[in-house]
Amino acid sequence: MRPPGAARARIAWWLTICVAITVALTLGGLLVGTTSMHTSLRWILAPGAQSSIVLWDIRLPRTVGAWFVGALLGLAGAIAQGVFRNPLAEPYLLGTASGAALGVTVALYASGASVGALAWAAQLGLAGAAVVGACVAIVITVALARGVLQTSNLLLSGIVVGFLLSAVTSLLLLTKPQMWRTMQVFLLGSTGYLSWSSTSILAAVFLVCIVPAVLLSRGLDALTLGEDTARSLGLSLPVLRLAMLGIVCLATAAAVGEVGIVGFVGLVAPHLVRETLTVNHRHLLIASPLCGGALLQAADLVSRWIIHPAELPVGAVTACIGGAYLALLLWRRTRDA
Amino acid sequence: MPELVTSPSENPVALACRELVVGYGAHNVLDGVSLEIQTGCWTAIVGPNGSGKSTLLRALAGLQAIRGGTVWLQGRRLGAWPRRERARRLGWLAQSATATDLTAAEVVALGRFAHGGWLAHRDVDDDAAIERAMRATGSLRWAARRVSTLSGGERQRVHLARVLAVEAAVLLLDEPTTHLDPPHQEDVARLLRLQAHGCGVAVLSAIHDLSLALTADRLVVLGEHGLVGHGSVREALREDWLSLAFRTRVDVVEHDGVHLWRPAVAALPP
Amino acid sequence: MIHTSRACERLRHSPLFAALVCAALAHALCAPPAGAVVLRDDLNRSVTVPTDPRRIITLLPSLTETVCALGACDRLVAVGRFDDWPPSVKRLPKVGDLDEVNIERIVALKPDLVLLSTSQRVGKRLQQLGVTSFAIETDRYEDIARTVRIVGELLGVPKRAAALNERIRKAVNAVAVAARAARRGAPPTVYFEVDPAPYAAGPDSYIGGLLAKLGVRNIVAAKLGAFPLLNPEYVVRRNPDVIFVSRAQAPQLAERPGWAQMKAVREHHICAFSERVRETIVRPGPRVAEGLRAMAACLARVAP
Repeated sequence: MRPPGAARARIAWWLTICVAITVALTLGGLLVGTTSMHTSLRWILAPGAQSSIVLWDIRLPRTVGAWFVGALLGLAGAIAQGVFRNPLAEPYLLGTASGAALGVTVALYASGASVGALAWAAQLGLAGAAVVGACVAIVITVALARGVLQTSNLLLSGIVVGFLLSAVTSLLLLTKPQMWRTMQVFLLGSTGYLSWSSTSILAAVFLVCIVPAVLLSRGLDALTLGEDTARSLGLSLPVLRLAMLGIVCLATAAAVGEVGIVGFVGLVAPHLVRETLTVNHRHLLIASPLCGGALLQAADLVSRWIIHPAELPVGAVTACIGGAYLALLLWRRTRDA
Repeated sequence: MPELVTSPSENPVALACRELVVGYGAHNVLDGVSLEIQTGCWTAIVGPNGSGKSTLLRALAGLQAIRGGTVWLQGRRLGAWPRRERARRLGWLAQSATATDLTAAEVVALGRFAHGGWLAHRDVDDDAAIERAMRATGSLRWAARRVSTLSGGERQRVHLARVLAVEAAVLLLDEPTTHLDPPHQEDVARLLRLQAHGCGVAVLSAIHDLSLALTADRLVVLGEHGLVGHGSVREALREDWLSLAFRTRVDVVEHDGVHLWRPAVAALPP
Repeated sequence: MIHTSRACERLRHSPLFAALVCAALAHALCAPPAGAVVLRDDLNRSVTVPTDPRRIITLLPSLTETVCALGACDRLVAVGRFDDWPPSVKRLPKVGDLDEVNIERIVALKPDLVLLSTSQRVGKRLQQLGVTSFAIETDRYEDIARTVRIVGELLGVPKRAAALNERIRKAVNAVAVAARAARRGAPPTVYFEVDPAPYAAGPDSYIGGLLAKLGVRNIVAAKLGAFPLLNPEYVVRRNPDVIFVSRAQAPQLAERPGWAQMKAVREHHICAFSERVRETIVRPGPRVAEGLRAMAACLARVAP
């Protein structure tokens, strides 16, 4: 009763193609930057002191880090859609995005307020502030929904917390408009400063997230049959939800902390997988990160190539790609109906 | 009747409830219901819409918070069973067959969740149980298809297979014959009787079709104000519980030892 | 504050002080009342301004400084939230900033003239409420002299404006000449970071104009625009001799991927100013020479 050969072969093909695209995009990540591709190629073949810094310390960690961020968002999106049984669920659903934004604002605010605060904020870093903010937001959301039993309450409470925290952020920004530009960069996402150290953090978080997620994936399968049926099968919904939401929180916070808010990847990646494959959640939770990683790598390439040596905020690029894809999906669906 | 059935009422009790109170908001749907469901016996729940058939099944499955009374599973309080052990003993089928993007085989395999848990790999026993269940429900042909692409009836049989794959001692089924055409309804009825008489399972199912329900071993008859009666089909007909429950005359005729519901409209002049 | 108004180029090129459009061109109905003239502001609006405004509100630090430098500080009844120079304006009521303006407060103060930037949208609303507002574009170095001239015209002190412009020009020239004279080698290349995103100041920006005055070479090409969002790799590749950055960011430059190996970072050729000095640098107002002097002093220190 294993999946029949044809389906498994299809999945194998899909994975192969996805990995091939990722490898190609990574190579592209080495070639695309502020120089012509010709120069980049020459650098790869005959590296100098400065060119090796640009290639191996700037471009490679940037493209690899972008992959991990996309993978984390793809994973978080796939889990969120499974937990909430809603194809429009996305990683920022539980107020994490607003929480992270507020964390960054508070850190910026504090760093301008006094010397002592500056040291504190520098220690924590904007990334750390974003992670703390995202986690605080999730805790408030879950508390407001009185636990994780009612998904509709959780969704509602996530929206409420999102609005409230955004309002606080806006109020803080109003008192210090100098911070606005920095916040804007954060809100549109930026892959420009991904370094090897941030990439290794992202990789570690990714491992910590994907392993339990895949192990628990059968629970999400059961959940597609309805909450009652899942419970009748012997599944503990609170345990499943807490574990899965914990993973979503960790993955989203790490991603947001490193690159700011990059929209649409977490929403679109699982859809792309489902459009091209018949999958259960084990496959989905493995394929969505691969898809999300490749998506963000591609968006990052576009963002630094299209008006180089200047660049577009990567979140704006993903919004364009993701929005176009969802529009296409909707158009096809309404046409078929 | 297969000779296996001696006298159902003497079989050991698999599932029971005492003074069960269940409700939503200010309204108690079930107020002080006591039942005993025997092993090796197919019991059908009948009653008008809103009489609490689904609520009773959900409460007995432990899916619905109860306001009073106790539910016993195999002599132990339902709540005292560890979650997975309970799930191995109690199979439950929801009223609506959910459309999921999983394949039929994957859905049926989920019925084995309670046997392995999170980390267990599916073993030979699981594979055998899954195949048996799918063969019994005739859903083996769609094993590799997404459930969302199946028709309502096909879907229903996949979900039935999922419940059978649990190989539980008690089956609680909410309208297992909905979406099915009459021959397939009969298949399901035969399957349930076989489970009860052949495998010694306690089957409790809500059945809409009165004639089909009358082929069960025992009836639980619910009316608008709670339990009307609980006993063998013969007993139910003798006491005319159905007419009491539906608050209108329910005419049952006997034909070759088979009880059939005759709609009153059939007796009207054309 | 740095103003990134996206006022159309078209407006900039409109003949600015074809201003005395008044009586001759205008219909009898539109003729200004006695003691008023019609002028065209940088939003291309015809504004009827009193010839001798006594109650003025300025909504931009550089405009406040200009009004005060023309000796009309006592005519101000309120200023913008970040207006802090000269110190005497700090005790005036604050009625808003670039984005948010307290319209009610402004109306209550009954000003006869509100001076604001072209990027402030409040002008239209004030017009509806019968408050005279005049928008001035202050984005580039050249706008300083133009602003002084316009404000001088509005205040009825054109001679004083001309004198002030002459003073500014001389002071700037002195700094520029001294900076070039003190330099030994080739002019250094410079990266001026406006924001860690990183947004840089391009040659077409106000700061770009200041860098040009000092004779240093901006690593950002003019075609990238006034404040381009750069690929950080670009800065590393250009390897500028000197980096201008905010004080908060200065210690973190070495942590950006690949930046630690840049010469300017390694040898700490970094100019990071206090918030107060930074304000004088980025504010296109009459104190331009002061900001320029701070930049020149730092350049002389880190890139002799």
